[in-house]
Amino acid sequence: MEEKAIVVRNLVKQYPRVKAVDNVSFDVDKGEIFGLLGPNGAGKTTTIRILLTLIPPTAGETLIYNVNTARNSEDVRRMCGYVPQDVSADGDLTSYENVLISAKLYGMPPKERKPRIHEVLSFLELTDREHDMVNTFSGGMMRRLEIAQALVNRPKVLFLDEPSIGLDPNARRIIWGLIKKLRDEFNTTIMMTTHDMGEADELCDRIGIMNRGHLSTLGKPAELKAAVGGDIITINSSSPNCFLKLKELGYSTITNSPDGHCDLVVNNGETLIPQLLEGLKAGGVEVESVSLKKPTLDDVFLKYTGARIEEGDTFAETRRARRAFTRRS
Amino acid sequence: MRALSEVRKYFANALIIAELELRKIRHDQTQIWVRMVQPALWLAIYGLAMTKLQAMNSNIPAGLTYLQFMTPGVLAQSALFVAIFFGINVVWERDLGLLNKLLSTPASRSSIILGKALSAGVRGIFQAIAVIVLSLILRIHLILNPLTILGVFVVIILVSMCFSCVSMAIASLVKTRERMMGFGQVMTMPLFFASSAIYPISIMPSWIKPIAYVNPLTYSVDAMRDMLATGNLHSLPLDFAVIVATTVLFLVLASLGLKKMIS
Repeated sequence: MEEKAIVVRNLVKQYPRVKAVDNVSFDVDKGEIFGLLGPNGAGKTTTIRILLTLIPPTAGETLIYNVNTARNSEDVRRMCGYVPQDVSADGDLTSYENVLISAKLYGMPPKERKPRIHEVLSFLELTDREHDMVNTFSGGMMRRLEIAQALVNRPKVLFLDEPSIGLDPNARRIIWGLIKKLRDEFNTTIMMTTHDMGEADELCDRIGIMNRGHLSTLGKPAELKAAVGGDIITINSSSPNCFLKLKELGYSTITNSPDGHCDLVVNNGETLIPQLLEGLKAGGVEVESVSLKKPTLDDVFLKYTGARIEEGDTFAETRRARRAFTRRS
Repeated sequence: MRALSEVRKYFANALIIAELELRKIRHDQTQIWVRMVQPALWLAIYGLAMTKLQAMNSNIPAGLTYLQFMTPGVLAQSALFVAIFFGINVVWERDLGLLNKLLSTPASRSSIILGKALSAGVRGIFQAIAVIVLSLILRIHLILNPLTILGVFVVIILVSMCFSCVSMAIASLVKTRERMMGFGQVMTMPLFFASSAIYPISIMPSWIKPIAYVNPLTYSVDAMRDMLATGNLHSLPLDFAVIVATTVLFLVLASLGLKKMIS
């Protein structure tokens, strides 16, 4: 069997009052971008922290490149890079110093340090801010610096906890580009958590959806979206016979509201629309507008986590998320 | 061989953590200057006033003026007052997320604590320099030579490390900055008053004396008083043994606490 980058087997983390992670198992291949999705409090961050040996699991086994994280914690930490959800670059130092300290803590030989630090800073487009104090940085720059710190050691596995939380859309795009580049150029395995569906869809090769400590589903974004159902075409028509005509044409409608809305579920909506319109026109139906809705990961997310997205928040998490947001924006 | 390289790595990591803290001081030196104010006030105002009290002068070791007696006490006090609040930094770093990142590096937990304690020690040095300079200005006669100054620096570093470890150990239990402020306040005065810093143990009420004898601050004051004022070095080994042992004890406790801190 080919060696996996990350193996999680029957992982459980029990806190005094809640089971944060409940019997979760999954693998991550080398060079894969794997996303854990879920509402706040779903157990994503806990899973990452167990993998990084920051907290011990209650039960179950986790391996990174075949090294048991509970038994050889230092070896595991040496292989990994971590960008926590909270701001973790030190504002009272320059960006160079921040990366320098990381390089030293990862035991990089003195001769290699300087070129490597310059390399990561230029990879993250921070070269011109090398000697500026970090507390003058914008949220996006801070995030890039944190990634630089995590990369200086050339980790085999990079953990990103909510990499774009609190960033503006532009900064978010930049971070996404970097994450892809990192995988494509260095074949780094990346495990990230997010509750941003767009982010997961854009970046992840595979995603697992977590809810209340359980792994609800796992698969490629396209597969998950397909599983939710096909495309939805909504037709607006003032002709009263639209519904009947559609039925005659062999389509099954799911709604037929009195104001002339007809929703139908189909596959390949884009290619079907012209054909459908021609059929309706031939049948004497006046169509006012047509819209097509493709399923998104949002739908997948909703299906597996239900309407409980907000409920999962604990006070501490809400506070942290808000604080992270205000600090970055 | 392997054990040796582990030990080297341990201390190397501690030094990197200390370097991190010291680089921060280099960028912003105001805290250093501000911290020199308090010990200066103790010495220049409290010390000069107390010199006039007959009861003080008749109970301190023969041949010493009160200011000679008190200067080592102020040295220890300045280290204590800063170190005892050190835990607030750690709580702050935990809240910011800096601590999580530090702990995800290969550095061991206790090397991180040791590094932070060392940085508290180095901060203490700056105050010690201020007190020594002030004692020269006030013409307090102290035994000052490279050896005694070096000795004082070592004691200051140790006592700062000791109380910053105490503070970090408590921080891991109380977990919020506000409570940590409270605990710091509650501890400084008893530690300070139940020590030989500003008056001799012999004039204390009898129920405080036992506390003074288990208080590591007493031993650090004693060590510095021996070196700077009396010149009698008999009890120096005991003093150092007590300070080092307490420092190691609280280093272990704070390292264990660090695990609890992030869970």
